[in-house]
Amino acid sequence: MFLTRSEYDRGVNTFSPEGRLFQVEYAIEAIKLGSTTVGIRTPEGVVLGVEKRVQSPLLESSSIEKIMEIDTHLGCAMSGLVADARTMIDHARVTAQNHAFTYDEPIKVESVTQAVCDLALRFGESVHDEDAMMSRPFGVALLIAGIDELGPQLFHTDPSGTFMRYEAKAIGSGSEAAQSELQDKWHRQMTLKEAQILTLRVLKQVMEEKLDQHNVQLAQVTRDKGFQILEEANLKEVIDEM
Amino acid sequence: MFDVQSVAHQGPQSRQFNPYTENGGTILAIAGADFSVIAGDTRQSEGYSIQTRYAPKVFQLTDKAVLAVNGFSADGKMFVKKVKQRLEWYRHAHAKDMPIRSIARLIQTMLYSRRFFPYYVYNILGGIEDDGTGSVYSFDPVGSYEREACRAAGAAQSLVQPFLDNQVYYKNQTAGQDESFPTHLPLPSVLKLVVDAFTSATERHIEVGDGLEIYVVLKRDSTAIQSMEGVQEVTTSEEGQRVFYIRRELKKD
Amino acid sequence: MEYNGGSVVAMVGKDCVAIACDLRLGNQALGVSSNFPKIFPITDRIYLGMSGLATDLETLRERFRFRVNMYTIKEEREIEPQTFAHLVSSTLYEHRFGPYFIEPVIAGLSKTPSGDLKPFIAAADLIGCLNFAKDFVVSGTASAKIYGLAEALWEPDLEPEDLFETISQTLMNAVDRDAFSGWGCLVHVLTKDKVITRTLKSRMD
Repeated sequence: MFLTRSEYDRGVNTFSPEGRLFQVEYAIEAIKLGSTTVGIRTPEGVVLGVEKRVQSPLLESSSIEKIMEIDTHLGCAMSGLVADARTMIDHARVTAQNHAFTYDEPIKVESVTQAVCDLALRFGESVHDEDAMMSRPFGVALLIAGIDELGPQLFHTDPSGTFMRYEAKAIGSGSEAAQSELQDKWHRQMTLKEAQILTLRVLKQVMEEKLDQHNVQLAQVTRDKGFQILEEANLKEVIDEM
Repeated sequence: MFDVQSVAHQGPQSRQFNPYTENGGTILAIAGADFSVIAGDTRQSEGYSIQTRYAPKVFQLTDKAVLAVNGFSADGKMFVKKVKQRLEWYRHAHAKDMPIRSIARLIQTMLYSRRFFPYYVYNILGGIEDDGTGSVYSFDPVGSYEREACRAAGAAQSLVQPFLDNQVYYKNQTAGQDESFPTHLPLPSVLKLVVDAFTSATERHIEVGDGLEIYVVLKRDSTAIQSMEGVQEVTTSEEGQRVFYIRRELKKD
Repeated sequence: MEYNGGSVVAMVGKDCVAIACDLRLGNQALGVSSNFPKIFPITDRIYLGMSGLATDLETLRERFRFRVNMYTIKEEREIEPQTFAHLVSSTLYEHRFGPYFIEPVIAGLSKTPSGDLKPFIAAADLIGCLNFAKDFVVSGTASAKIYGLAEALWEPDLEPEDLFETISQTLMNAVDRDAFSGWGCLVHVLTKDKVITRTLKSRMD
């Protein structure tokens, strides 16, 4: 891919003669540099897990936020440029609140994912006197987890604005190994607990440091409690059980 | 020839365009346990003249929602059109029919968005909730709304609403020893009340009459409508609820 | 008519008539009294109800008392409901261009040539235009609401107790939807041999 690099990799709105948008492809590459993030769907709910790279002993690990709430029934984990993700999640939150305001019902998981992906494509040059919103594609991929009338769901979005629904998905630097591990171990009738443990096991495999409650984060979306990030104490219990 | 001099000597003049008219008529809706009845007369008037004896005021939105609009008929028609458009957009965006409580909220936001140039319309929305219960939502022209068991609006609201208070909510009535009033009326009783309410209103209000259109939204597995005469089914899809249409004549004088 | 508020209704039954009013007296939106009857006996067989401006109501009540007394003395007989209705009408029309703000309702039992008693009701506007209805007559701030209920609930040839129930339900449910009427009701049912008078408890808001 890098061999065919040419002038076509400059503009974000110019296809190469082979029909590729290099900037978008590079953005997808950027995600592979991000920390590993895992999501698993079960009939009871969805589990999200991320690795937090604590680069310095002076870094407050609790300040690394890679799992965020979109709405009470929606959560999101990220890999890639975290700053870009904040813009997207902000948009997702506004969309979810607007939906609840206008329709007096929680937004569907797919609809909020679609809204985020619509935003992902709004890069490029401005038309007429419109302000250009963004100069480049987002350098981040998201795992959006949630529950609606169709049950627990997990969606993956990438910088091209494509989204797909998964039973289990890993993104980030360790995603290849993690994804094959998920393919091996995932089964349809998983309990939430099993999913938590599998998430941690997968992360543990691809992490360089020894996994503990400070360098991973776990979150879940369940029918009765909605989205919640596990407290370090709870997280430790799960780790000890692993 | 045009006399510039004389025009100049006339005092200041003012002209005013009035964007609203009141077109009369009355609408009414009553909710049952697993059905909802939405009705309206078909007379449309302006002042003392009848513009038409058949102008529908009740519209089927989906297989579980029927909307009645009363007030300024041009605004009413436009509003129903816009609600239908929003329902279609919602179907495309979210791959499902909008639930009735969401339609109610949508109508509020649509009405309130015109807070300072309102649709001069009183809306009553009837249908079946996602939990299968019959429901009625009533609105004021700027979107204040409420879920109720029954509501009348329009020209003869003051004639009909207290009658409904008495016959649906059993206001000022006390149940006998070991008796109790039902929380929801059966469909045949509701239809009788609706027809009675409109014949009474027709008798005493000049803007009410000509024809009566009644829509019944029925939970799919309900048997309430069986063996009723002059009932036409207007359901449009296999899933969702069943919708029926009844037409009655009202006095034309 | 909204200055003091209040409503009156009268209905015909089988060999009986009923007349009812609310008990509110207000000063615009402010409630002043919850015991202000608007119906008065004129003779044993005629009851007059008035809604509108309270001061005119009291003035007219005294005027009618005076005029009916004069009639009784001069004619040496009790006034008939029809006659009284015309008396009311002409009294009001005397003030055609500066009227009393009163809409009267009359209920009575009139004597037929054969000596039977026949139900009679009438109402007039504030300048005395009479309305001899065969079913029911209304007046006051809740008139539209009373019409709606009366038209739906009333039926011909009601017995006294049924007529009482009908007029009570009509009035109570109507005044409950009227801000200017309510605060209790008063009902009279006139039959051949007696007058049933009942005070009704209702919503006090």
